[in-house]
Amino acid sequence: MRIITALSARLDAYSESTGRLLAWLLPLLMLNTCAVVFMRYGLEQGSTFMQELSLYLHATVFMLGAAYTLKRDGHVRVDILYRQFSPRAQAWVNALGTLIFLFPLCGYIILISWDFVSYAWLIRESSGEPGGIPAVFLLKTLIPLMAVNLALQGLAEFLRSLATLLGYQAEVAVGVAADNDGQEGAL
Amino acid sequence: MVEWIPLLMFAAVCVVLLLGYPVAFSLAGTAMLFAGVGIIAGWFDPSYLSALPTRLFGTINNVTLMAVPLFILMGVLLERSRIAEELLDTMSRLLGRLPGGLGVSVILVGALLAASTGIVGATVVTMGLLSLPTMLKRGYQPSVATGTICATGTLGQIIPPSIALVLLGDTLSTAYQQAQLQMQVQNPETVSVGDLFMGALVPGVLLVVMYLLYTVLLAWRKPESMPALVETEEVAIGSLLKSLLPPVLLIVTVLGSILIGAATPTEAAAVGALGAALLAKAKGQLSWRRLRECGESTLEVTSMVFMILIGAAVFSLVFRGYGGDDLIQSLFANMGGGVGMAVLVVMVAIFLLGFILDFIEITFVVVPIVGPILLAMGVDPIWLGIMIAINLQTSFLTPPFGFALFYLRGVAPESVRTRDIYRGVAPFIVLQLLMLGILALWPDLATALPGWVRSLR
Repeated sequence: MRIITALSARLDAYSESTGRLLAWLLPLLMLNTCAVVFMRYGLEQGSTFMQELSLYLHATVFMLGAAYTLKRDGHVRVDILYRQFSPRAQAWVNALGTLIFLFPLCGYIILISWDFVSYAWLIRESSGEPGGIPAVFLLKTLIPLMAVNLALQGLAEFLRSLATLLGYQAEVAVGVAADNDGQEGAL
Repeated sequence: MVEWIPLLMFAAVCVVLLLGYPVAFSLAGTAMLFAGVGIIAGWFDPSYLSALPTRLFGTINNVTLMAVPLFILMGVLLERSRIAEELLDTMSRLLGRLPGGLGVSVILVGALLAASTGIVGATVVTMGLLSLPTMLKRGYQPSVATGTICATGTLGQIIPPSIALVLLGDTLSTAYQQAQLQMQVQNPETVSVGDLFMGALVPGVLLVVMYLLYTVLLAWRKPESMPALVETEEVAIGSLLKSLLPPVLLIVTVLGSILIGAATPTEAAAVGALGAALLAKAKGQLSWRRLRECGESTLEVTSMVFMILIGAAVFSLVFRGYGGDDLIQSLFANMGGGVGMAVLVVMVAIFLLGFILDFIEITFVVVPIVGPILLAMGVDPIWLGIMIAINLQTSFLTPPFGFALFYLRGVAPESVRTRDIYRGVAPFIVLQLLMLGILALWPDLATALPGWVRSLR
């Protein structure tokens, strides 16, 4: 059991730190897009590179942020019934949901995007526009990467639910409390 | 039997969603299960799913949707730097001496600032935390206070620039292209997010005016339900302008530059977010730490939105693969009653779906399915978009399942009974239905302004 909680804590920490890094890309996205606007209207110059940079930042944020959002329970739920469930019933929903929905989805995305992405790597696919960022293959790699990240955080959620179902609420509760402390400290 | 599978899939997903697993993964996961069973049984052609990487990459490459994180960032910055709070405070001090003055302030501030976030839950919760305690303390009837807050909180999604309209505009523009392709139109027209913003302007303002009129009327007839402030406190006009002008200017600039076509929504959103950051900085409310927190909140909401988009993409691929498009189309064709009936049926369906699905899910799941069909029947895309938006807003207000009611219940004190909330929103629901009726009778209210601006360009 200790291994399970340690593993899910490790995975949580990984998602948390990616999230913290990704959060800084948003002000960057804002500044870069503003710079594009300023150059276009102020200097009457367009920079394909910078326009595409905004796109890369944006895509990285929402694709890789998915796991962090899962960890923060930020993916919206229809909680009309869910919120009235006991912690045990909620754990059932999360354990089964992860097993039946999330894992197959991630697996399938990795599987089906494999050729798509590996071909882009093979030809080192570049931007279609002159002056664009020559790394479309990296942009495409975000698709399987998102799935891997989500699956890892999904594993953490699954293990946590499992621990609850097996009756280890105490340890989990401590983990949650520590987590909340962390959040309050951040606020 | 197999041709009914799309409807079965839809019903299954509704049941699954009620269990409470995150919507994005429930949508995709249920669709994957149906596809898996179908492939084994030979009902489903797996090649339909091979379009998935291209679809996902299309989402990554979509420049219009880049406005989403930027508008969210702008909203989060305005909220965290207490600009909304200060605005409400000043306004209510100015208007608080009149009966109903606080209610009027809540509506105005909500309409102005809620626009930038445009996510029902977030807006209702913010407005609830911000204004409910004050309203109750000043002796407002709980039903009046909660009704006003719920209604104002949902107003944000139809007043531009709201991210709900960005998402809807993007989806409708794809649907419109498909519809015209199907009709083999020679010179296909386009509809943009900017068009939708413009179309929403007049109906949105009309709704605000109706809310205000109702509040003033109620304050006049039943002053005890929304008493005036007893202790009068002079508000210097200078301090009023200082707190009112910057955020209003910011919103007007962002909106204005989109409306006159000087900037794309994405560009305007970036400049708006920068403006909000500078505003917060000027008020001494922006530290590195707060900037990071705003980034984290924005990251969370953005990923949430896009995961639903991806989940809905998987769902609609499987739905199409099972011939769902043809099924819906033939259902409409066999129904009779023409365009009017079709629109009515879609509106009722969306209203009911609004009980379990949020704006984003409906935009990504339902609109791509029914949109092309309705648009191919000759329905105006802007009008349709605004009707959907107001319809959903009404749905979110309607007891017992409305989203807004749940969110407000979550932040309201125990002393406010759920019955009060239900009673409070009732008049606003009537106003919403009235607005839907008006817009159905006079579609020009939504379509005239975008058409006029277009003729100017």
